[in-house]
Amino acid sequence: MSKQLAFYVDSQKCIGCFSCAMACKNMYHPEPGVKWRQVYPLSEDIYPHHERAFYSLACNHCEHPTCLECCPVGAYTKREDGIVVHDQDKCIGCGNCVRSCPYGAPQYNPKLKKAEKCSMCWERIDAKLEPACVQACPVKALRIIDLSEFDDAEALHYPPGFPRFESLNPSVRFKLPRHPHVVRRNG
Amino acid sequence: MEKERKSMNSSLLSEMSRRSFVKLLTAGGAAAMLHGGLLTPKAFAGPAKTAGGCKAFHSACQRNCYDTCAMLSYVDDGVLKYVEGDKQSTFTNGGLCVKGYSYPRRVYSPDRIKYPMKQIGRGTGNWKRISWEEAIDSICDKILSIKKEDGHLLGLALDKNSGSEGITNCAVIQGLFTGLGYTTRFEGSNCWPAGYDAQYFDFGDMVCNDPEDLANAGYIILWGVNPAWTSIHTMKFIYAAKERGAKVVCIDPVLTQTAAKCDEYLAPKMGTDGALALGMARHILDLGLADRGWVADNALGFPEFEQYLREKVTVQWAAEETGIPAETIARIAEEFAKAKPATAWIGYGLQRHTNGGRAVRSIDALVAMTGNVGKKGGGARYGQEFTWDFEYWPKSKMSPPAGSIGFVNPAKQKPGEPTVYSNRSLNRNQAAREMRKADPKIRMLWVSCSNPMSQYPNRNEMEKMYRGLDMLVVVDQFFTQTAELADIVLPTTTQFEEWQVNVSYWHYWLAINEQCIEPLFEAKPNTVISALVSKRMNELSPGSCTYQQDLTPKECMIRNFNDTIHKLNGISSWEDLLKGPVKAKRNPVSWAEGKFKTPSGKYEFLSAKAAEYGHPALPEYHSRRPNHDKFVILTPHTKFGLHSQFINLDWMRDFNPEPCVYINPNSARSKNIVSGDMVRVYNKFGEVAVKAQVTDNVPEDTLLMYEAWFKNDKFNVQNVLDDAVADMGAYQFGGHRGPAIQEQFANVEKM
Repeated sequence: MSKQLAFYVDSQKCIGCFSCAMACKNMYHPEPGVKWRQVYPLSEDIYPHHERAFYSLACNHCEHPTCLECCPVGAYTKREDGIVVHDQDKCIGCGNCVRSCPYGAPQYNPKLKKAEKCSMCWERIDAKLEPACVQACPVKALRIIDLSEFDDAEALHYPPGFPRFESLNPSVRFKLPRHPHVVRRNG
Repeated sequence: MEKERKSMNSSLLSEMSRRSFVKLLTAGGAAAMLHGGLLTPKAFAGPAKTAGGCKAFHSACQRNCYDTCAMLSYVDDGVLKYVEGDKQSTFTNGGLCVKGYSYPRRVYSPDRIKYPMKQIGRGTGNWKRISWEEAIDSICDKILSIKKEDGHLLGLALDKNSGSEGITNCAVIQGLFTGLGYTTRFEGSNCWPAGYDAQYFDFGDMVCNDPEDLANAGYIILWGVNPAWTSIHTMKFIYAAKERGAKVVCIDPVLTQTAAKCDEYLAPKMGTDGALALGMARHILDLGLADRGWVADNALGFPEFEQYLREKVTVQWAAEETGIPAETIARIAEEFAKAKPATAWIGYGLQRHTNGGRAVRSIDALVAMTGNVGKKGGGARYGQEFTWDFEYWPKSKMSPPAGSIGFVNPAKQKPGEPTVYSNRSLNRNQAAREMRKADPKIRMLWVSCSNPMSQYPNRNEMEKMYRGLDMLVVVDQFFTQTAELADIVLPTTTQFEEWQVNVSYWHYWLAINEQCIEPLFEAKPNTVISALVSKRMNELSPGSCTYQQDLTPKECMIRNFNDTIHKLNGISSWEDLLKGPVKAKRNPVSWAEGKFKTPSGKYEFLSAKAAEYGHPALPEYHSRRPNHDKFVILTPHTKFGLHSQFINLDWMRDFNPEPCVYINPNSARSKNIVSGDMVRVYNKFGEVAVKAQVTDNVPEDTLLMYEAWFKNDKFNVQNVLDDAVADMGAYQFGGHRGPAIQEQFANVEKM
């Protein structure tokens, strides 16, 4: 397999602090209402404690990105390291990518009337820096991995709640949250 | 694909986030937003200090927070582009929190107060832009007329609180207000006084081990503290301890985010933490696991404490009091006593109770009797202030104008001796009550670094008192619920627009904050505003204010340094900090030498000082006050705000769009409430309308709302809080006990 950078989301460590999501806004200043990364609480049938376990998700930089396939003007490219880049100069704002991505990654910028999405901070990666969201994580719950080298039997590709779109092969891996031993009070 | 997307949403997302998710996809709602992106997605400003056209400056987060992050701020062409944590701090390791990363939006928020403003009709929203000259003139005229009519300035009050912890903000208190004469000050802390006093009774000081030393612990009890939200950078040290084999236990009435990350979570009844600690202590005695060697060498009063435990405390009693099964109490106690080292981090929530100080003393005692005080990886951790020995300039240089008349404290005035005047000190935790009974009456109030209407209890009474003032001056960056009641608001700078210096009450780091952009619009630092008032006062009435009239904010910052700060931090000058933050050169283990600052020089299980202040000499358990309404209401911190700050920003609203009240499923069922219903939380003090979220993270008898201030939303938890005070706080906080804000009661009904 050729190089494919991916996000690793360790929900066992994740404290749902939203630092990753805001660090992204801090770096790129998307319009209010536009979020390239969001921290999603898991529903109670996945994790029994409401709003206490999370998946931090952005663009999954899929092996076969549907955004790239459906873009009529070639605004999307896939780099050799697997990062899916959106070129806003080429974008005509048709919304095909926004509608086609089952993971909701491309966002519509209402001001520029164009699409935009997580770039995995490729400029930072090229400068040997971590993406803003990864640097922001206080507990190393969010990491960048290279799937061509990644070998972790415990890591999940499609954990509960994360939709399975095998044809896209999203570049993200997960670790599930663990429950504490809970001693409730009597009375 | 639309159908599949919906399936993803329903499987993954909660109802609330699903709505915002769908809204986000349609993205229509954002069209009217004002702020153009400072960076397009492509225009990333680079990594090195000057790469990408950006220049980096050292900054320090000013908020009242454990983490007080050392930051780097990247500026291009006079515009703050982005911020990050300073990796030179091993505490933050280059990170900030969700609030810290929102700073660029805070600075350039369209909602910033841009100019001095005057409100025609208090609370009407009829604001008029005025010049700084007109604003300062109005203020000075009023001060002079109060002085002329009353013969003194006790009718002039200051409420400068902790909204900005930058050291130079003391210019308003120590400088301007002292320079004007004897005035009235709202004092005391809304935060930690009960536990603070408790630690002073036990140790003679409040000092914590370096939080980075948590990684060395073999057993950690996170007692009423939620660092996953309120000190996110400490979590990695807790995780490090876990990875080395430590067990982490969380004790909290609410299943917090921290609880979800622990090995074990105990949910005692609210306000029974003292009973739990004492029950554990008794079991440790019974098993012969007390560290008698340490206690004999280092402590006073252990025999009396032991006798109290044997006569008054059993594990079974603790089980009944707390609701935690006896076998669990016994097991945790045994684990804690056997793990070496073991530590307890005592949060500020559990001491905001009418028995809160005693609870902290009980936990201190548990840690001490197991010999975990003065140990690497041990300690009863609460906070520290040894890094705070600044000058608080111009504290020592200021005195009121000659002939000033002030408050006469009958307790301090000796018959036959010259009259001793002082400022009048009122407890901000009972602000409404204190204002109502104040004689002479408070006529003018100056509020800075504070939003009392969203932070102080008994809000409806507070508003009545504020409306009765002759003049309310508010210095702020946003039109808070307090500013809404002002006659004059003065725009103030963010930390990026001024010089500051900051330390934490938790970690040991010191960070400078360089001014990196020019003040936005007409905003001015507190130091400058104070000087303007002083200057005008002297023009109108020479000699009427002794505060400086022309010191730059940077010079003011420099004057706050002294040899104590230099020596402690291993620097020769403030300029050394321009290279990066520094950590105090101090043993990371508190009390390692076994010398305590109590009257006996020992750790005091038996404290005569406590008895002197009207408390039991031993850490005895007393029950909290009884409920006065159906539910307990808890109003802790949210991760999306620092008290009432940040929550109003549009960037923050993207992740935290509206307030809610959490209700247990059984309670919700009994009230016919489902998630998403609008409900009324009410009691005899007031009410608040809010959306319900049903969750068993809160117990059946509890309602939980986060303290917050949302823009364009009347939501305010303070409406339903009374002004009950904690047991302790009067020893070290100017006679003012702490608030009992986590011991409050209300009912709820569907609207």
